[in-house]
Amino acid sequence: MTTEQTPENETRQMFVETAARLFAAEATREVINELEKGTWPAGLWRQVEDAGLPWAAVPESAGGAGGTIGDLMAVLREAGRHAVPLPLAETGLGAMLVAQAGLTPPAGPLALVIAGAGSPVRIAGGKLAGRAQRVAFASVADSIVVVAPGAAGTEVAVVPRAAVKIEAQQGQTGEPYDTVTFDGAAAAASAATSVTPERALELAALARVNQMSGAADRVLALATQYAKERVQFGRAISTFQAIQHMLAELATYVAVVGAAARTAARDAEEGDGAFAIMAAKTQAGEAAHKICAIAHQSMGAMGFTYEHVLHHYTRRLWVWRRDYGSETYWGAKLGRALAEAGADAFWPSLTASSIAA
Amino acid sequence: MTAPALEFPPFRLPPDTEALRTEIRAFLKQTLPTITGGDRFKSWNSRSPEFSKKLGAKGWIGITWPRQYGGGEKSFLHRYVVTEELLANNAPAGSHWVADRQSGPGILRFGSEEMKRSILPRIVKGECYFAIGMSEPDSGSDLASVRTRADKVDGGWLVNGTKIWTSGAHRSHYAITLLRTSGTREDKHRGLSQLVIDLSLPGITIRPIINLNGKHDWNEVVFRDCLVPDSMMLGNEGDGWMQVTSELAHERSGPERFLTNVHVLKELVKLVGRQPGRHAQEVVGKLAARLWSLRQMSLSVAGMLENGKSPVTEGAVTKDLGTHFQQDLPEVARVLAESDAADADDIADFLDMCQMATLAAPAYSIQGGTTQILRGIIARGLGLR
Repeated sequence: MTTEQTPENETRQMFVETAARLFAAEATREVINELEKGTWPAGLWRQVEDAGLPWAAVPESAGGAGGTIGDLMAVLREAGRHAVPLPLAETGLGAMLVAQAGLTPPAGPLALVIAGAGSPVRIAGGKLAGRAQRVAFASVADSIVVVAPGAAGTEVAVVPRAAVKIEAQQGQTGEPYDTVTFDGAAAAASAATSVTPERALELAALARVNQMSGAADRVLALATQYAKERVQFGRAISTFQAIQHMLAELATYVAVVGAAARTAARDAEEGDGAFAIMAAKTQAGEAAHKICAIAHQSMGAMGFTYEHVLHHYTRRLWVWRRDYGSETYWGAKLGRALAEAGADAFWPSLTASSIAA
Repeated sequence: MTAPALEFPPFRLPPDTEALRTEIRAFLKQTLPTITGGDRFKSWNSRSPEFSKKLGAKGWIGITWPRQYGGGEKSFLHRYVVTEELLANNAPAGSHWVADRQSGPGILRFGSEEMKRSILPRIVKGECYFAIGMSEPDSGSDLASVRTRADKVDGGWLVNGTKIWTSGAHRSHYAITLLRTSGTREDKHRGLSQLVIDLSLPGITIRPIINLNGKHDWNEVVFRDCLVPDSMMLGNEGDGWMQVTSELAHERSGPERFLTNVHVLKELVKLVGRQPGRHAQEVVGKLAARLWSLRQMSLSVAGMLENGKSPVTEGAVTKDLGTHFQQDLPEVARVLAESDAADADDIADFLDMCQMATLAAPAYSIQGGTTQILRGIIARGLGLR
């Protein structure tokens, strides 16, 4: 399986090629499996850091690679394609949000906490209160970036991991999905930000959609390859029309996730992309079910073993569709906005990718 | 390892096409009658020569064709926007649809100068309509097996045979007809040609085939010693197969593959009101997300075509997803409406509309390449066959 063939520009292509090369060589099955047993892949992280990938969307003036959010999303699609067991999305977005608030992004891996209904976190006088659940990679991050309401509007804070209480939990990807209790923890730095928790959640959803797109591509590649190699009744099962049609259907769902993810990434780069992100996370969440179901069915018992790598991708699709708002959450939000605008605004909203007045 | 996955790079329509969109919306708002009550559910997808002529007067038929034949010399992206707006606003664009989408471009590409001059300007004005004579009683998806023959005689071709499922033949002036001009069925795609047949010629019988919703759209067209002049041969004799297969890429992924019944979704938004409950929000949002995603795929394919690529697999993927969206839509809408309504009698009109849309739905994944044909194309794209 190769990487994306049609990057939007040369900078993007450079990011994609660097990421793809590094991930293919270093994010091996062994590294992924070891993380599930609790071994943080320090070597892999160092290489990713050296390549500047986590800071793709951080300006050069703040120590980043000076790319766009679209570049970061392209890197995340590659990360998804290789099931890279690192907080690349969290660090990429966390550092970007910190830099946007005028702070210097901290070194090292980051976790991301966005205040919301399930995570009622607040910032006051440089101290944090509250508790957040399912915080990806919190227990292995150096710092936690928090976007939460402050005394006068939203603030972004950088909190050293050592300052918070962490209940380590493993998500169904095998990666840490921890509970973080702040309990008055002091921020190393904090500042007001124009990025509301609602907006931060959109960006995080965008990141997951792009990771899902990469993982979905890989699932299709794995299932296709398997069908060509697996021989039953004296022939490769890829020659059976039943299998061909299953995989063709699988390809349609993988393709729609890819189209939605890339369009949302573009829209977020050129504007806020809120409409596209809502639609894309909804579509990806819905498609994930079918993608995983067909891929597993086509690969039989082999694909159900731990030994085969398929599950690294399907488990991530099942978990990522839940992260940062499921298809139900974003679907309802999109539907609410469309209903409020009224039936006559429906089609104009669809064509403008934003709610028409 | 294996072949690259399918890619749909994002594509944005250029600003001048969006300006055209604004113009078309204003025109449609002014031109289309305001229909209220239950009748508004019955007006879609219909034929109206009067409307076609008005659209032609605006220059929106044959919009991509050369000026010398009355065309607008605009891009396919302009055409894309026209098509989207006609569908999304339920315009009765059925009369000129096939001529504009398929027959005109075919004549432009393969037809003689005489044919172009005599036919294209009439299509552009919205006055000349076409049907497509491909399927036969024994040739559906396996199109190369057609039996209808044209035998060379003095001054033309003598046509004998039967075409079936010929949409709108009873209201069209011509049918571009795929037939065998040499060899036998065993020669498959060799020896096939296309004739542009004037449907008023002697020797043609058009019989209605009523479809399951009681409508007359399809026909059986029987040719018995019908003499078609030499000048009506489309392109070279024997090129028929190349001609019919080359036109499918543009056709597969256009807006008609996901917008045909979008009025159901618009009516659903109206029905749930400005402040729907959580479940209705979710259902509407999920349908909208699917539609938005499909549109982005279709735009991406349009962009690839515009850039000279031939996205055969991508077009098939888009059509497959699009037709299934259109089949799900009336069902999902019906279920939501019923579960939201206190009494089904309160929403009888809406349910009637869903019913009509449901009756139309089976055709979506049959016409223009069945699901199974499309999945075969996709499987080939994946390197499985």
